[in-house]
Amino acid sequence: MAYQWDFTPVFANSELLAQGLLNTLKVTGASLACGLVLGLGFALMRLSRHRLASWPAGFVIEVFRTTPPLVQLFWFFFALPLIAGIEMTPLLAAIVTFSIQSAAFFAEVFRAGIVSVERGQWDGARAIGMTNGQALRRIVLPQAIKRMIPAFMERAIELMKTTTLVATIAYADLLFAANEIAQKTFRPLETFTVAALIYFVVITAISLLARQLERRLAVSGESTVH
Amino acid sequence: MHQWDFASVLDNADVFAVGALGTLRIFAICLVAGLSFGLVVGLGRYSQRRVFYWPATAFVEFFRNTPVLVQIIWFYFALPILMPFSISPLAAASLGISLNSAAFSAEIYRAGIQSIDRGQWDGARALGMSFLQAMRRIILPQALKRMTPALTNRAIEIFKMSTLASAIAYVELLQQAKLIASLNFNPIEAYTAVAVIFFVFLWPMVQLTYVLERRLARDE
Repeated sequence: MAYQWDFTPVFANSELLAQGLLNTLKVTGASLACGLVLGLGFALMRLSRHRLASWPAGFVIEVFRTTPPLVQLFWFFFALPLIAGIEMTPLLAAIVTFSIQSAAFFAEVFRAGIVSVERGQWDGARAIGMTNGQALRRIVLPQAIKRMIPAFMERAIELMKTTTLVATIAYADLLFAANEIAQKTFRPLETFTVAALIYFVVITAISLLARQLERRLAVSGESTVH
Repeated sequence: MHQWDFASVLDNADVFAVGALGTLRIFAICLVAGLSFGLVVGLGRYSQRRVFYWPATAFVEFFRNTPVLVQIIWFYFALPILMPFSISPLAAASLGISLNSAAFSAEIYRAGIQSIDRGQWDGARALGMSFLQAMRRIILPQALKRMTPALTNRAIEIFKMSTLASAIAYVELLQQAKLIASLNFNPIEAYTAVAVIFFVFLWPMVQLTYVLERRLARDE
């Protein structure tokens, strides 16, 4: 007997799904903002000639790039509160984990971008009397950031997909909302199909935007990082 | 100050060993299934015929633009409704991770094949080789060398993704850590141990990709 598809129970709960999507975007946005700032910090530390700065940054980057994000999330949610004696909400644990995790990846993007800027740009900036910090801020970063945008967009999309992991620590993101609806309505097939489609539409829209941006950069001849 | 006590973790070393075996099993399945199906999809993406190109493209776009965890959960909770049989956690997780990896590796294969000089094709065809012969004997061997760093990266990603199988209670390292943490009340040590195990396994692999990338950059 063929299965009778029935989407009405899912649409009856569309408010829950909408709230879930909003929460997904909230975690993604917060982690992206913190991750970018932290990532730039890590990158500068790693590029530093002082070992006291470059080694710890290198260590954090390596650890967060080579351990699974779900293990990190569990560690920050279940283990850290016991060590530090603080209260941890699922939202906070998710933002902390994904900020540091994406910072580790962003740091490598920043580093590659900064290194890709020609040596002569530094020399020129120094020659007209700029300090290291000024040269970085006014000369090198503006050129580097333009080249890094494709890699950034890719990481941002990865980050959004990674945020589904918060459902496992019971934060009400889109996947968690879908799970709840599936259990309530006994319609897992329809609910999870709709959830997958929502992710697909949102992520495809973002990646189309990213492609548009890349094309525009390619026209202005700045897209050197593929 | 927390008193670290790894004794409770070491006492349960056999539980972790079972988990490690589960992790290795799902990793091996997804690595082989994902990378080989990825080649088929990649060839479809490279094809000029619409019958191959469109389905392959739809597959790649769909699996790249949805989260793996959603795919795993869909295969575990939704697919059995359409099927006359139930699906084990291992099967559901392997399906999700393999298809996701196939979509990502397909793009690596396609880019690798496209990067081979047009003249190589012409030469092979001039010697009388068919499309498949030229692909197998001339193009793929050269392309595979260029793809090695990217494919190794994919393998590392698959290894990390295997932890997602714990969300549907497949017995692997993280799932076993959850069990130990709930029995012994030692989440700090249990999860730290898992993180360390993954780091120890994967760090050499990551270093290997750096070496491969550097060697490739030097050769070309």
